[in-house]
Amino acid sequence: MSRTDAVTRILFEAFSAAEVRLFYALGYAAIAVFFYGVYVQVRKYRRGAPLKLEGGLGRRVWSMFTSVFGGRTVDRRDPAAGGAHRLIFYGFLLLFAGTSTITLEYDILQPLFGIRFWYGRFYLIFSLVLDVAGVALIGGLLYMMYRRGWMRLPKLDYARPDRVPGDPDFNRPQYRREDWAFLWILLIIGFTGYVLEAARLVWLADRADVWDTRWWSPVGAALAHGMMAMGLGEHGAGLLRHGLWWFHGMIALILIALIPRTKVKHIFTAAASLLVRDPLAAQRLPRIPDTQEKPGVDKITDFTWKQLLNLDSCTKCGRCHEACPARAVGAPLSPRDVILSLREFANATLESTTLPAAAELSVHGKAPGQVAMETLWACRTCMACVEICPVAVEHVPIIVQMRRKLVEDGAMDPLLTKTLQTIHKTGNSFGESKRKRGSWTKPLPFKIKDARKEPVEVLWFVGDYASFDPRNQKVSQTFATLLHEAGVDFGILYDGESNAGNDVRRVGEEGLYEVLANANVAALASAKFKTIVTTDPHSYNTIRNEYPDFGGKYQIQHYTSFVKQLFESGKLKVTTPLKLRATFHDPCHLGRFNKGYEPPRDVLKLLGCELVEMGRNRSNSFCCGAGGGRIWIPDPVGSEKPAQNRIKEAAAIPGIEVYVVSCPKDLTMFEDALKTTGNEGKFVVKELIELIREAIPAAQTPEAC
Amino acid sequence: MKILVAVKQVAALDEDFEIGSDGRDVDPDFLIRDLNEWDDFSLEEAVKIKEASGDPVEVIAVSVGPEEVDESLRKCLAKGADRALRVWDEAVRGSDPIAIARILAAVAKRETPDMLFAGVQSSDQSFASTGIATAGLLGWPHGAVVANLRYAPGAKTAVFRRELEGGLLHEVEIQVPAVLTIQAGINTPRYASLRSIKQAAAKPIEVLGLSDLAVDAATVGEAGSLSRVRRMYIPEKGRAQLIEGSPAEQAARLAAIIREFKGEAA
Amino acid sequence: MSGLLIIAEQRRGELRPVSLELVGAAQSLRRDGEQVAVAVLGQDPGCFAAALSVAGVDEIVTVKVPSQEFDPDTFAAAVGALIDARRPDVVLVAHSVDSFGYAAALAAARGLGFATDVFKVERIDGELVATRGGYGQKVSVELDFPGRSTVLLALRANMFKPPEAGAAPKVTAFEAPAAASRSVGKEFVELSAADDVDMTAAEFILTIGRGIGEEAKVPQFRELADAVGATLGCSRPIADAGWLPKSRQVGQSGKTASSCKLYIAMGVSGAIQHLAGMKHVPNIIAVNSDAEASIFTVATYGIVGDIFEIAEELRSLF
Repeated sequence: MSRTDAVTRILFEAFSAAEVRLFYALGYAAIAVFFYGVYVQVRKYRRGAPLKLEGGLGRRVWSMFTSVFGGRTVDRRDPAAGGAHRLIFYGFLLLFAGTSTITLEYDILQPLFGIRFWYGRFYLIFSLVLDVAGVALIGGLLYMMYRRGWMRLPKLDYARPDRVPGDPDFNRPQYRREDWAFLWILLIIGFTGYVLEAARLVWLADRADVWDTRWWSPVGAALAHGMMAMGLGEHGAGLLRHGLWWFHGMIALILIALIPRTKVKHIFTAAASLLVRDPLAAQRLPRIPDTQEKPGVDKITDFTWKQLLNLDSCTKCGRCHEACPARAVGAPLSPRDVILSLREFANATLESTTLPAAAELSVHGKAPGQVAMETLWACRTCMACVEICPVAVEHVPIIVQMRRKLVEDGAMDPLLTKTLQTIHKTGNSFGESKRKRGSWTKPLPFKIKDARKEPVEVLWFVGDYASFDPRNQKVSQTFATLLHEAGVDFGILYDGESNAGNDVRRVGEEGLYEVLANANVAALASAKFKTIVTTDPHSYNTIRNEYPDFGGKYQIQHYTSFVKQLFESGKLKVTTPLKLRATFHDPCHLGRFNKGYEPPRDVLKLLGCELVEMGRNRSNSFCCGAGGGRIWIPDPVGSEKPAQNRIKEAAAIPGIEVYVVSCPKDLTMFEDALKTTGNEGKFVVKELIELIREAIPAAQTPEAC
Repeated sequence: MKILVAVKQVAALDEDFEIGSDGRDVDPDFLIRDLNEWDDFSLEEAVKIKEASGDPVEVIAVSVGPEEVDESLRKCLAKGADRALRVWDEAVRGSDPIAIARILAAVAKRETPDMLFAGVQSSDQSFASTGIATAGLLGWPHGAVVANLRYAPGAKTAVFRRELEGGLLHEVEIQVPAVLTIQAGINTPRYASLRSIKQAAAKPIEVLGLSDLAVDAATVGEAGSLSRVRRMYIPEKGRAQLIEGSPAEQAARLAAIIREFKGEAA
Repeated sequence: MSGLLIIAEQRRGELRPVSLELVGAAQSLRRDGEQVAVAVLGQDPGCFAAALSVAGVDEIVTVKVPSQEFDPDTFAAAVGALIDARRPDVVLVAHSVDSFGYAAALAAARGLGFATDVFKVERIDGELVATRGGYGQKVSVELDFPGRSTVLLALRANMFKPPEAGAAPKVTAFEAPAAASRSVGKEFVELSAADDVDMTAAEFILTIGRGIGEEAKVPQFRELADAVGATLGCSRPIADAGWLPKSRQVGQSGKTASSCKLYIAMGVSGAIQHLAGMKHVPNIIAVNSDAEASIFTVATYGIVGDIFEIAEELRSLF
């Protein structure tokens, strides 16, 4: 001991040299097992397909850093869990940093360079901070135990919607065992840490520098007094400390060794997943690389290393399971279970030294670990799962890429097959002749410009439903009239426009999507315009986010923000404020996909409506069920449809008069659901455009030149 | 083992079509072309037989028509045909099914398949003759309106069921090689993804002329047809008397008609 | 002028009604002095003579052949021999599954004038003119047969009026040459009737088509049919998809609504094959959201609207 005035803790005090050597041997062994485990995991990821990441590394690191250290993603929709996790996170982090600091000095700096710092004031503050960290850790853990054991949260129920009781992987009790084991081990480590600390205090109670500074470890000191009060003497404390030291140390080393093989690995995989996150994962799907022979994912090795990493970062929090509209209506799909199934499959096949034969690697099917066709086809690609996942798992691209394989095999509902063939033939899902695409404009008293023939300021991309569905044609006519009255210089592509392809792509027919995207990009290239406006959120999403990959980059807005600008610039003026109690349904492709939450609400307020929000609003909006091609696939007889579930939510708002939508598919689905849930007559479903028309009755707006 | 499948690219009429200036056919601007619906079924039947067979079976799709027909042949290649043939010569224009059959018979002589499939009829002209006419010219056994088929390539006979009016089936055993015209609904045609159609574009389509098949130009086209088009016209369409009003009013009128009818019947 | 020859159709011991329609069609083509002969093939063809004794038939030709039921080679050989022997100007057969099996082969092999699915026959300036449909029945096409001494026409069913009964044509037998038949007819198979419904006997039929969209909607219409007292029928796509048994299919290859007096078609577009089974019904009411649907061309009354709304409203009235 060099400085007697500097208080510190003597490591391995009273341990024999043999014990110390044994400890180090075990320590190295644990670390070796840890690294081997890491190697197995990395080898697994490398067995996936290659992927080049986009975007600057700096931005990614910053984004990961703020997510991990801010804990923001865990806070969402469960602030209590977010808070508790933050306590565990910081508690564990500080305690680990503490141990690392000690190791740094003891094993590296002191022996090699003679540097010491862990003594005196630094040491005392260090002790206090770690004691507090321990309290945080244990506090957080106790809440999590309460949450798992007593609160019976539905999202933590591991029963799967895509299996039946009796299936080998129906309930997965091994998950619950692992969850509890993790909680208990950390708790034991924390608790024994304090007892150990207290025991040492009792054992060294006669040493002034130890005893006099004991309150810098308040929990330990309190425990020490308690233990002494119970009759623990110096000798007994010494024995307790020695034994507990080994116990605590071994548990910790076992934990370290097991990190790569257990839930504990989310420490790394979650951070890594957040690092490689694609903020446009569901909005901009990946193209099929030219080098790839068969489209889509068939074998587990067809997934990219990033997707395999995603599978490992899932912490089974259940937020995606809770958010999924298909799961909510009893469809055999839980995004959580798709990920977990694939994870089990990846672990079973890709962690062995040699890769199994290709025939055993297919992820499609009904065997444990595989994903059934019905599960994949139930998805609405609404991205509620991707949006809420705290660890950046990207479920939707995984599902779509698996669908690509099903499409290639023709394994889909015959009605869907027919629709795809119809779209290929006629460019629209209604089977109408191309020439009829502009027919909805005929009843209008003015002629809408053909943007292919004359230049326009604004190109209005109308979309299939708005062009051909009778109910939505009325909305299109209303919008055209409003634009005309506002003096906007606009035009449409008439029969130069094809289905934008958003849903075709999400069904997995990538070849047909390419045909549609290329056709539309070519049509847009032949037209002269400054900006695009669309009344269809699906078209908006794909043109904005995906057409650039096909050579089409445009300035595009959804009509809600365009109309807001028209109000702000005075081109449209409300003459008859609507005193209606309204609720707004955020369309998936406008809201969650492209963050367009506020403009429609601003417009509603401008119209004079009293806006009352549904519980599930903005990023938590509940999909109408039409996405992902589901509008072309019949629903099972007798089941609730997502749109019905949503309408019931609106119906619960007292005095609700209008349910406002701004998407043609939403209008169709919700008007239908209004009837089938028996709410017809209680309130109405209206497109925002129709409300604008009501607030600006015709012939009251002066014609702008 | 070879199965030759004769397919046709049919033409559907676009909105507001017009009869051409000669009054004998529709202006081609208004024609929308696609593979004949029945041929989806006959091709699928051939590919199913190929896939179920232990021995190699070659499925060849053949069509008579100009370059635009390649698109439909490519679809056949995407759906499992191994090879595609197209026959064309300007002299073929204006052929009736029998003139076409002459060409198909020549192709069959060249390829010597074990089976020749065709659709029962085409969705545009519905002659229901081309396949059987080919059989007549080849002198082969033939069976029409096959709704069910059991055939193992290499076998001397095949057993099929012909779909009669009223939903009755008649089971028949036929000597092979034979010409069979396949009825819609016999199977579920597989979906050909756009990608597979694009990839099929890499497979070549062999184009033959009349001379390659030793077919005399005088035996095809209008000269080789067994009928002549005098004129084509748009018929007067019957028009239903429309019941107007709200759905409740329309249903009420419908109910009244039903009650009146039942009153009579009672 | 060598007369008209009609080939009758019989199946399972019964003369098919289309045979008499062919006789009716022949009347509009016969020129002065021309004879109309009807040939019937079978093991005991004489038993059909009584049914064929209708006005306008001058001669019944019985042809004894080894197979009782239709056989393509037998028919081709027998009809070919009849043509050789009698040299008729016009040969009329039904546009039917049987004639699909041999008529085109016969015409091709012998270079006869040939047209199928003919719904109108006439003589214009002495020339035989046959009218059929084109481009999915959206146009009509007039055909003639210059230079063909014998013309074989396959006529569409339910288009020509059969004549009155009660004539006494002479009956002759024809010796058909032995034909090596390369196919053998076996048994007839009734499609398993999930329900023992006889569409051909129903007087009031309510038919659903592709417009109902999905299988889940079928029960609503089954219930509606029950409520109004109609027999539920369907068009081909519904039966092919398995949503209703084949026994309920009305159309060219389904059942003909022979006894039907009132026919309501909901969500049926009116493809020609379906019309073939029902356009003759005296009272047809079509409900379809597409104002351009072909069904409206044969219907007496039409409702352009949403079939589900109409169905709901109608149900509430019964």
